[in-house]
Amino acid sequence: MVIGRLLGAAFLICFGTGIYSHFLQEPLPWMVFLTRPIWLYQLSQGIHITAGILCFPLLFAKLYTVFPELFRTPPVRSFPHFLERASIALFVAASLMQIATGLLNTYQWYELFPFPFRQTHFALSFVIIGSLAIHIAVKLPAINQYWLKKNSYEADGVTLVPATSPHISTSPESTEHDTTGSDQPHRGLTGRVVRWIEQTPQPAPRTSRRGFLTIVGVASAAVVTLTAGQSFKLFDATNIFGPRKQGTGPASLPVNRTAEAAKVTISANAANWMLTLSNGDVSRTFSRDDLLALPQHTVDLPIACVEGWSQMATWTGVRLRDLADSVDAPAGASLRAISLEQKSSYAKTTVGPEYVRDELTLVALTLNGETLDIDHGYPARLIAPGRPGVMQTKWLSSLEVLA
Amino acid sequence: MRIARAVLIVLGVGLLVVGGIVLLQDVKPVRYVGILWWFAGAIILHDGILSFVIVGISLFSRRLVRIRLVPILILQGALAIAALFALLVVPEIMKKGIGTANPTLLPLNYGLHLVVFYGVLVLVTGLALVVYRVVSRPSARTSA
Repeated sequence: MVIGRLLGAAFLICFGTGIYSHFLQEPLPWMVFLTRPIWLYQLSQGIHITAGILCFPLLFAKLYTVFPELFRTPPVRSFPHFLERASIALFVAASLMQIATGLLNTYQWYELFPFPFRQTHFALSFVIIGSLAIHIAVKLPAINQYWLKKNSYEADGVTLVPATSPHISTSPESTEHDTTGSDQPHRGLTGRVVRWIEQTPQPAPRTSRRGFLTIVGVASAAVVTLTAGQSFKLFDATNIFGPRKQGTGPASLPVNRTAEAAKVTISANAANWMLTLSNGDVSRTFSRDDLLALPQHTVDLPIACVEGWSQMATWTGVRLRDLADSVDAPAGASLRAISLEQKSSYAKTTVGPEYVRDELTLVALTLNGETLDIDHGYPARLIAPGRPGVMQTKWLSSLEVLA
Repeated sequence: MRIARAVLIVLGVGLLVVGGIVLLQDVKPVRYVGILWWFAGAIILHDGILSFVIVGISLFSRRLVRIRLVPILILQGALAIAALFALLVVPEIMKKGIGTANPTLLPLNYGLHLVVFYGVLVLVTGLALVVYRVVSRPSARTSA
């Protein structure tokens, strides 16, 4: 029951933070997002990825506790039982697929899954939470009974059998001896195996349960401690298995997509590069020197990737609102940021007015005191508080005021 | 209780429908085969392989080692943690070997770190067994 609660909480946290990340990337027209605290997305997506990794020990532990259910005979007792098992099969398959592909996505091993990650991940999240809700509905009487510890055990420490479903038990300790579900005499090889299992000595339930929870707790703590440093500075020193490491890369900041991968190396380094700002018929162009000649502002903002890694950095450049004002953009206007990159779903992003008018949103020209590296978006890139890294458009080409 | 169950089932079915619609709208039909392969693979791996292996190991360890429960739990726990980290880290080692999109992706020496981790795990496991042996001796309780 404890593992089930923790796993349910982890899945709901992943679902909630995932939905938030999804709508940040694909907002509905009426949506406005918070820009404070500046680490909001860093926190939400860091939690999303860390909770996702935490689901590995929790899901395996939960599956371990219900393994004996797989061996019950008959496998299907009634149509409702069939539906219950089908919803569990859907939940197990979708959950395993979700956490496995999610983990592989953190280091971009896309060759292993022949489907688009983001769209499939999004669709499966509804399937998982939906099948979880159905599973909880089916098990609600047992959940209700076992919710309090005092209602879960007999005086000798043996797990109480649910009053409403006498053939179902929820702990590994109480079920492993009862894997046949039949009173028939055992014959042949199967019978010998069953007798062998039945003769296996039973551990003391309380001790076994405590030991099991301790193992899950240690495994979970180890997984978080040794990977969460990619998202949270607090764990950086113990980050030995995270796919990312803070402080690596040009200007001591990791890179998600290089200029070479984006095929912008030539266009971004071109001497005649210009940033074009347009508002209907009004249009202005700025060279990098022109931008450097404008009032410069320095801000500390994290770059927080959808893949979970994040790091605080110091950016210097021109306030986006100053550039918007230079073409008389209305106060509530959104901007479309367009990259030199051609073939990417993020080559064009919409910057909502809450970001455009924020004093921390910059067209950044330097990073951590150095000229912006080409892999970080040279000659100019967008940086705004609370936006996913993929929306912080690199290799800016133009900014258009949207009506 | 009945109302709560009904609400949960309606919510669950509703979310399944939403998931199905999202899949139909956002993923090309030609990709469905790949998704089904992953689904089938997950079921086969879980129901057909891992469940038998793990339940077998669990029963076998209790049958073979007719000693106290706690040492078995310590060893089983260490094995489970070792297997978990193999599952999480070995793919990183493989992907790093194949090559990554840029040097800041998988920048660490994951193979070495895994070896060190296993070394620490063996030490901690051994230490836990020794501590248990010492504190569980009857004489340890009476001789103080």
